[in-house]
This record gives sequence, structure tokens and C-alpha cells, in this order.
Amino acid sequence: MTKGAGGTGRRIKAGQGTRKTYTSPSKSRGAHLSGRHLRAMLLYISLILGAVVVLFPFFWMITTALKQPGQAYSLQLLPDRPTLDNFRRILADYGFARYFLNSIIVATSAAFLATLFAALAAYAFAKKRFLFKRQLFLFLLASLMIPGMMYMVPQFAIVSQLGLMNTYAAMVLPHLANVFGLFLMKQFMESIPSSLLDSSRIDGASELQVFRHIVVPLSLPVIATLFLLTFQFHWGNFLWQLIVTNKESLYTVPVGLAMFRDAHEELVTLKMAGAAISIIPIGILFFFTQRLFIEGMTKGAVKG
Amino acid sequence: MTIKLRENLVAYAFLAPFLVIFLAFLFYPIFYSLYLSFHRVTDLYDVFGAMQFVGLDNFGKMLHDGQFWWSLLMTLYYAGLVIPLGIITSLILALLLNNRLPFRSLFRSAYFMPYVLDMFVVGLVWVLIYSPHFGVLNRLFTLFGIDTFLESGFLGNPYSAMPAVALANVLKGSGFGMVLYLAALSNISPSLYEAAAIDGAGGWQRFRAITFPLLKPITLFLIVIGVITALNAFAEIYAMTEGGPNVEVGGRALGATWVTGYYLFRTFYVSLKLGYAAAISYVLLIFTLIISVINMRLFRTEER
Repeated sequence: MTKGAGGTGRRIKAGQGTRKTYTSPSKSRGAHLSGRHLRAMLLYISLILGAVVVLFPFFWMITTALKQPGQAYSLQLLPDRPTLDNFRRILADYGFARYFLNSIIVATSAAFLATLFAALAAYAFAKKRFLFKRQLFLFLLASLMIPGMMYMVPQFAIVSQLGLMNTYAAMVLPHLANVFGLFLMKQFMESIPSSLLDSSRIDGASELQVFRHIVVPLSLPVIATLFLLTFQFHWGNFLWQLIVTNKESLYTVPVGLAMFRDAHEELVTLKMAGAAISIIPIGILFFFTQRLFIEGMTKGAVKG
Repeated sequence: MTIKLRENLVAYAFLAPFLVIFLAFLFYPIFYSLYLSFHRVTDLYDVFGAMQFVGLDNFGKMLHDGQFWWSLLMTLYYAGLVIPLGIITSLILALLLNNRLPFRSLFRSAYFMPYVLDMFVVGLVWVLIYSPHFGVLNRLFTLFGIDTFLESGFLGNPYSAMPAVALANVLKGSGFGMVLYLAALSNISPSLYEAAAIDGAGGWQRFRAITFPLLKPITLFLIVIGVITALNAFAEIYAMTEGGPNVEVGGRALGATWVTGYYLFRTFYVSLKLGYAAAISYVLLIFTLIISVINMRLFRTEER
């Protein structure tokens, strides 16, 4: 059914010339129109069904988080006596307020620094001439082929030897060189006219001033994109945060959730409240900035 | 000469923060990991103080490590589920959305949204949905008289565990492929379809002869990142099955979702076999590079 609906969609887009293949020529214009309506309806039904399936886990998470603890497995789509008590308890009694703060600290500082470092480096690549520029860029790009899992053991060893275990720095530091972000920003900054930078230099601006007062303001869209993407990455950088912390005061939300799961398997409604605390902020962020998210995440891919 | 030197210094000053982090945490680890893979940790209380050089022993051990080979098999199985399922889902969603209709961007966002969320946390929600007896999915199945999964839940049954994990991953991730397919679809000229329609090609024929071939680069790309994702799979397994449930294979108990990424984590974080884990991650790296090279070859022939 879905395939048929897809074909229909193409036809509508392709224009009027093709519609005849679907309706028999002998039918009246009215019948033809209703056929089209039928197809549009089928299309919408498929779309809504798809959305229901894709979004059901999140709906179920929130519903369960709003249920009374005893009703964790009840089938009510909307709880008859909804309560925010699960949220209150997991935040206050199980330390999630602290974990939330930690997640905010880690994700914000990492996003800020990673974006800053990428912007500085991208500016050099986009607008400066220096030795080994091309070689250096290819060398950086080559690192994108290495899978993240590969780094778990050696990065852990390095962080440990630097004496950084159980610090915010340990969670943030290894991920501050974002090659994909550098690539994204370099492309954007290349479109800034060099004459603009030169005229500012003639006016006596220092290199840093040129960067701050001209390059940064003009690159705001791509800066916002990278900030969001790195924030999102660190918000869910679960495995790394798990292995470099074993002090409760440093747990981030997903790490706290993993520990909570292991200790209180049976507190389902609380667990879902904890999951919601992790998911809702990114959901909201996505809702308001979806274009930046979608473009940023797929841009690198389309270019190969 | 001095001007040139100054230019270089300024450029490298802008690059410095990024490069320092890159060299310390993304470049050096590749060699450090190799070094670690030639060693055995002898003292669990001083993991890095007491290391013993063992040459290629870790790699030799891998050859006889049933758990390792099994994990590769399971990774292959996981990839074999996630990749085709993900591509089909992405493609169907993209074809449905490739229409000028009201609320189009709303649906696009809804399908894409789960992609930005944390796999571990989403996995915990799926645990609830898949759970035995009172889980939503089991309730739904009992409506249709299917009680196969009632006792074990979908994740506790060795036959359904991996497909269940794969389904959760596909529903979370297919929005990404969908956006890529949508972009490619919008680049296909409507005149191609009109010409085909004049020649009498039906909907399915047009899809096979025009749409699918023109989407091939995206499909290839999704296959490649699918393989890499499968090699890195960890969070979904940690959240949902922890490698289990066990199955008897040749008198040994092996995990039905025991993928390599998860085995790597266990070797490192639970068994604290640091050197061996480094060796495993090196093998993973080599697999990934081979796949990347094949991918580049495919793309090159594509361009010719």
C-alpha cells in the first residue's frame, strides 16, 4: 500500500500530464477527482501511521512517566490520574537534578569550546595561506574514517594518565577537535569576501579583532549549527561519560539513568521520568531549530 | 620573508587549539592503541603502571577466541537486519513525503526527530515496550492470539532479541536516510517520469527504471554507514539486552545479541583486559578501513 501511495505522490508532483494513466479515460471528471482525493487520503493515512509508529516510544515514555507507580503497565493511553510525582521524586530523591546540571555543564562547555576551536581553525583554512595547508587539511579529513569505538581504550588510557578521571575535563577534552565541524565552517567562511577582512585590517584591526568583529558575526548560522550539533552529541555521549566517571556527583543524565536502572529495575515510572528528563530538552531544542539540525547533520553526508 | 613567516605564525596560532586537541586525542591514540595491544595488564589496581610486553599474543588469542568470532557473526547479523530494514523504511518515508502537501515539513520533522536523541535512553523505553507479560507489544500480540513472547518478552527470546533491537534502531534512525533520499528525489527531473509515462511505464516500472537507479549513491552511502554503525553498536545493546539472551551453540552459551562493539566494551570495562581490548579495536579499525576503501571504489565507478 505504501508503495502505491508513493507512486501517487510522484505523479501529483510530476504534473498533470501523467494523471491519465491512473484513471480510466472513460470515467467522468468528477470520478477522476474523487480518485485523486482517495489517493491523497491514503497518503495521509500512511503518513500518520508512520508518525504514530516512529513517535510511539516517546509518547509511551511520557505517558508512563505520568502514571501512578502502581499503574506502570496499565494500557491507558492517557493516565486517569496523571501525576508529576515521578519527576519530583527522581529529581529530588534520586539525584537527577544534579545529573541534569552536570549534563548541562558538560554539553554547554563542550559545545562552546568545540565550536570556538573549529571556528578559529576554519578561519585559518578558509582565509589564510600557510605551509602544508592542503596536506594538513587532508590529514584531518582522513581521521573521519576512523570509527569512534576505536578510541575508547587509548583515550581512556590517556585521560587516566593525565590524572583527569572523574572530572568534567575528562568528559569534554577528547572531543574538542571536531573535524566535521571544521569542514562545515571552512566551507561557509570561504564565502566571506576577503576584501571585507582586508579593509578592516587597513583600518588597523588586529587579527583577533578581524576574527571577532567580522568573521564571527558573518558566520553565525554555521556557528549556531555546530553549537547545536556538538551540544546534542555531548548530551548523548553516554559511553564515554560512563567510563570516565564513577563518582555520583559527576554523573550525567544518561549515566545516572544507567545506574538507576541497575539499582531499581522495578521503579518503571521513575525510570521513564528519568528518560524523559534526558530526551525532552533535546526534543525541544530540535523543535525550535530543526532546520539547522537537519541541514547540519545531512550536509556532510550528501557531499560524500 | 618576514611577512611570510608572520603569516604562517598567525595562521598556526589560529589552528593551535584545534591541532593540540586533535594530535593528543585523535592522532596519538591510534599509535598508542597499537602499543597497548602489544601489552597485557598485570595489575588490576594499577592498570597502567603494570604492563607486560606480550608481543602479538593478544592478536593470537583472538584467533582462538570463540566469543570474538561469535561477536563478528552477530555484528554481521545485526548489520544484515538494520541496513536493509533501515534503507527500506527511509525510502518509503521519503517517497511518501515527496509530494507537495500541507504539513509536509511537520511530518518530515516528526520522522527525523528520533535521530537526534540518545540511543541508550531510547533503548530503555523500548525495554518497557518489549517487556514480558504486561508490555504493550505483548498485549497487542495477545489480541491476535500470539503468546510466543509472553513469558520471555521480545528481548528475552533468543530468536526475537536481535530483530527487536534492530527494529528499535531502525525506527530511531531512518529519518536520517529519509532526508538524504528526499534531497535526491527533489533533484530528479519530472520530465523523466513524463517521458516514461508516455512510453506507457507504470508506477512500479518507473520506480525501478528511474527512481531507484538515481538514488543509488545515497543507498550505497547508507550501506556503508550502516556497516560502520553495526561495528560500533553498543548503546542499544547495553540498554536492551546486555548481549543476551544466551543460546547454546556447540555446547557453549553465547549471547544472541553479543555484537563486537559490546564485546569490546565488556573486555575493557568489565574484564579490564586493556591490551586485549586495544587489539580488538584495531581489528575493528581494519574492517572499517576496508569497507571505506570499497566504498570509495564504488563511488568512483559511479562517477565515471
